[in-house]
Amino acid sequence: MTPVGALEASGLGQAMRQWEWLYPAVEIVHIVGIGLLFGSIAILDLRLLGFSRSISAKRLARHVLPWTAAAFLLIVPSGFMMFIAHASDLIASPVFVVKMCLIMGAALNAALFHTIVLPSVDVWDAEEMRKLGPPPSARVSAAVSLAIWVCVIACGRLLAYF
Amino acid sequence: MKRSVLAAFLAVPAMAAAHHERGEYDSSKLVKLTGKIVESAYENPHSHMRLETKAEGATAGKTWNVVLAPLSRMKHRGLDQAALKPGTTATVEGYPNRGKPGELRAERITVNGKTVELR
Repeated sequence: MTPVGALEASGLGQAMRQWEWLYPAVEIVHIVGIGLLFGSIAILDLRLLGFSRSISAKRLARHVLPWTAAAFLLIVPSGFMMFIAHASDLIASPVFVVKMCLIMGAALNAALFHTIVLPSVDVWDAEEMRKLGPPPSARVSAAVSLAIWVCVIACGRLLAYF
Repeated sequence: MKRSVLAAFLAVPAMAAAHHERGEYDSSKLVKLTGKIVESAYENPHSHMRLETKAEGATAGKTWNVVLAPLSRMKHRGLDQAALKPGTTATVEGYPNRGKPGELRAERITVNGKTVELR
C-alpha cells in the first residue's frame, strides 16, 4: 500500500468517513479557521494597501498577526483530517495540488514581508510620514497576499466540483 | 483604488457562480437505472455505490458509479447501511456526469420497495 493509501485506510481516515458527525464538525472548524485567517490577513493587507492610515500599521500588525497564527491551529489539523479521509483522490486532483502550491506561495510572500517590508515600518509608519502611505513593497506584498488567499479559498471550494 | 479592490472581490463569486451554472451533472437527462449493488460505501461527505445493470438476456452488464448523499441525511430519511448491502437490487434516478461517463448523481433511490429522496 502506498503511504497515501495507508493514511486513507488509517483509523482516523475511516472515522472521518464513517462517523456521522465528525466530517461536518471538522469542516466547521476549518471554516471558522478560514474566517479568522482570511479576516485577519485582509485587515492588515488593506492597511498595507493604504487604507485606514489613521491606524498605525505596526500596531495593527502586532494585534492581528497572532490571530493569523492562531487561525492556523484551527485550519491545519482540520484540513489534514479532511485530506486523509480521501487522500488518494485529493493527491491526484490538480485543484488540490494548485491549492498546496498557492499556500506555499503565500508562505513565501509572508516571509518576504517579514524580511523586506516590516523592518522599515518605523520609517513609513511614523506619524508625520503616514499620510504618504505605505511604500510600494508593502502594497505589492499586500496585493499578492490578498490575491493568493482568495485563490486558495477558491481552490478549496472547487475541490468539491472537480 | 477603492473601486478596483471592490471589483476584484466581486469577480471571484461571479466566477464561481458561472462555474456552478454549467454544472457537472446534466440535469436535462434524467436517467433511471435498476441493478444489483456490487459495492457500497456509507460515508461522509457523500455515500456512493457501484451498481451493475444488465439488459435482459445479456451476459455482461454495465457497472455505474452512483453518487448518493451524506450518510447523516440518508440515515435520517430512513436508509440505513444494511439497505445498501452488496447483492441488493436497487433502482436509482439521477443525472449523469458530463465529464465522467458511467457516473450518476442520484436524486432518489428505491431499495426493498422504499423510495428515499436524496436531495
